[in-house]
Amino acid sequence: MDYIIKNACVVDPVNKISGEKMDLFISNGRITDEEPKNAEVIDAGGCLTLPGGIDSHTHICGTKVNFGRYMSPEDMRAGRTPHRNGMRAVSGYSIPTTYGNSYRYALMGYTTLTEGAMAPLEARHTHEEFRHTPLQDGLILTLFDGDWGLMRAIAAGDIKRAAALIAWRLDAVKGYGVKLTNPLGAELWSWGKNVDCIRKPIPDFDVSPAEYIKGVIEANEMLGLPHSVHIHCNNLGKPGNYTCTIGTMGLVPDLNKKRQTAYFTHVQFHSYGGSGWNDFCSKAEPVANFVNMRPQLTIDMGQVMFGRTTTMTADGPMEFNLFRLHQDKWSNHDVEMETASGVIPVIYRRKNLVNSIMWSIGLELALLTKNPWQCLLTTDNPNGAPFVKYPEIIGLLMSKEYRDKEFALIHPKTKSRVVLPAIERELTFDEIAVMTRAGQARALGLLDFGKGHLGPGAEADIAIYPIKPDKLDPSKQYAEIIRGFAQTKYTMKLGVMISKDDVILADKQNRTFWCSPKVPAKYDMTKDPELIHTFERYYTIRMENYAVDEDYYLNKSMKIETETTL
Amino acid sequence: MRRITLILREEVDPYLPIEAEVICPAILSKRIDVSVYVGNERKQLTDVFHVRVDGEAAGPAATEIILVGDCHQVKRVGEYMTDGRIIIEGDIGMHCGDFMNGGTIEILGSAGDWLGREMLGGKILCHGDAGNYCGSGYRGGRKGVRGGEILVEGNVGDFCAECLFGGFVHVKGNAGIHAGCNMKGGKLLIEGDCLMPCGDMFDGEATVFGHVTDFLPTFKEIGKVTEDGHALVSFRGDVANRNAKGTLRVGSFERI
Repeated sequence: MDYIIKNACVVDPVNKISGEKMDLFISNGRITDEEPKNAEVIDAGGCLTLPGGIDSHTHICGTKVNFGRYMSPEDMRAGRTPHRNGMRAVSGYSIPTTYGNSYRYALMGYTTLTEGAMAPLEARHTHEEFRHTPLQDGLILTLFDGDWGLMRAIAAGDIKRAAALIAWRLDAVKGYGVKLTNPLGAELWSWGKNVDCIRKPIPDFDVSPAEYIKGVIEANEMLGLPHSVHIHCNNLGKPGNYTCTIGTMGLVPDLNKKRQTAYFTHVQFHSYGGSGWNDFCSKAEPVANFVNMRPQLTIDMGQVMFGRTTTMTADGPMEFNLFRLHQDKWSNHDVEMETASGVIPVIYRRKNLVNSIMWSIGLELALLTKNPWQCLLTTDNPNGAPFVKYPEIIGLLMSKEYRDKEFALIHPKTKSRVVLPAIERELTFDEIAVMTRAGQARALGLLDFGKGHLGPGAEADIAIYPIKPDKLDPSKQYAEIIRGFAQTKYTMKLGVMISKDDVILADKQNRTFWCSPKVPAKYDMTKDPELIHTFERYYTIRMENYAVDEDYYLNKSMKIETETTL
Repeated sequence: MRRITLILREEVDPYLPIEAEVICPAILSKRIDVSVYVGNERKQLTDVFHVRVDGEAAGPAATEIILVGDCHQVKRVGEYMTDGRIIIEGDIGMHCGDFMNGGTIEILGSAGDWLGREMLGGKILCHGDAGNYCGSGYRGGRKGVRGGEILVEGNVGDFCAECLFGGFVHVKGNAGIHAGCNMKGGKLLIEGDCLMPCGDMFDGEATVFGHVTDFLPTFKEIGKVTEDGHALVSFRGDVANRNAKGTLRVGSFERI
């Protein structure tokens, strides 16, 4: 089906279009210059039209998400929606069913999702869930935070071998990029310990997190992967951890012209000052200043919003510490020689000082980072808040008045610990478009595949929101902004109308993007005696059974072959 | 005073569950042309029960509902009940008295599972036995029963008074495994025997007059008391939790 979208108020930062009234032509799932014949005409009526939303860091598929589901039946009882108009019945609030995730994201105009962490050994489950997330393209970042082979190679200074190991594993598990969660923490956690920061080498492997991060970044660039290394720093959630965050950011060289060299995720959880919970305070300012000075860095907010949610991460020791704080149900998991994970449900409260400061830090990061391309909008769903809170965050970023109003409701002592009330900046529609789609497309290396913009040749992922930018003052009418971003008028994915108002119209539109770097025969790890020995000696699974079957597990496979410099 | 008598029709398949959350004084005092689910079919209440209405309605407080017949498959009777009275002249199905916060339910037969689940107030009297999860919270919830009173004259199944947060659960017979586990407040009294009670207890008061099998090692003995002529050993726990303030008193026990 071809479409003509008339009278659209287009905001497309990649093509430098800012609120221009224009017509869009869609033919064969792509945007074209020429007007197609026999096309269906849609009148956008001057409403805000953006490229389809991209979430660069969310947890929606995988074993830990599922573990969250079955340890929280109370969460499954919330958000129950009966089936109607061909839509399936869904349930769950912070960790909904896969269809629940897909429908709610589609109604918010999101067409591409990045699962933030997949344990390689549990790739099959993640792919199975992505198969059943019908309306969004999936990218899966693969965890390399405690990979024995990689640690040995980097300790020996053999970066090319490290790159070859990454290439082999990404190809085997059909992953898109490299994720480091609490680098080397998982290895120490199997001994009941955690890493302090980045400088101290860990026993047995004699490699420090700093060396490891630098090695993996170098290997990542050798493989020419579309996305940079995706880093979740050490010491998440500890007061005073901002020094460690800045130290880690300082390790990153500028190696890539097209995009950042390292992506730091949910930096809100890593920008804490103070020496304990009593003098806990915001250090968003130094972190944001550091990012402002270095174009090779991109961060995402990891905004916390008040309410009930579930935290889940591959950072096992951090989740155990959270359990000791909350004394509620918890789970922790060790994934053989690869990584760890943990899940616990939490409630962020306005009357809690620490939670109030966390809420402020996320907003400060977004407002103090000068270049919106460097700070993307996420909640680290569901760790900071479920993704359905994105419209509220957009409202907060666009309106000082709304921020002040919300600030009056939080813990009164927050004022002396944060800088948020002093920030006057209000983001524009262009900046929001960067933070929710264009910036994410650039950071993930998806611009080349036609995502994140509306120029000719781009994939027709389009979200039309019931907001008229020329008739609305976001700083005053924030309620309309929140309502508008919560539900699109139309969401289109690759030229297929997937939702109209509150009704889902399509099924099985998802594709999985994954990378297969072209490595020379010398670095083909399938015949590497050491890797084969590792599997035979230590793994519970044979090397032949490790790889994920492309035909069986992936709905529509989008293989990206990259040129390497090995 | 309005009295509504519901007699289950004989032609209703006894193997199909009936979702009868409408059998509640607040709704039936206003109208009786309401529907219930029988299996997956929505039916009128009058097609499932013979309904007889006596007297004029003067609000839910002056309404009495009487259920006659074997109602073991009728679920959710008295859900969100606020006032009035329900008398069940036989057995009743699962989830009787869910979330109720006022009024009285009297069951002359036995009750199914989840009797008085997460109730907030009011009173439930069960002359027979009750099933599993009597007076407990629902799965995953942190707070179970927060107020009110449940009296079971027979035995109860497993997980009686799980996550108890307030109110009083009184069992005259025996209880199954894990009675009062995860208790955070309120009072639990079991006059008979039970198995492995009060694991993961935070707060509240539990008393077992009879014998406890598989008593957990995480309770600290603090003394002996006599209550209602029963010599009881008093414990504090569950010490596996930080600052546990629960009290457990048992007649006799045998450690796991």
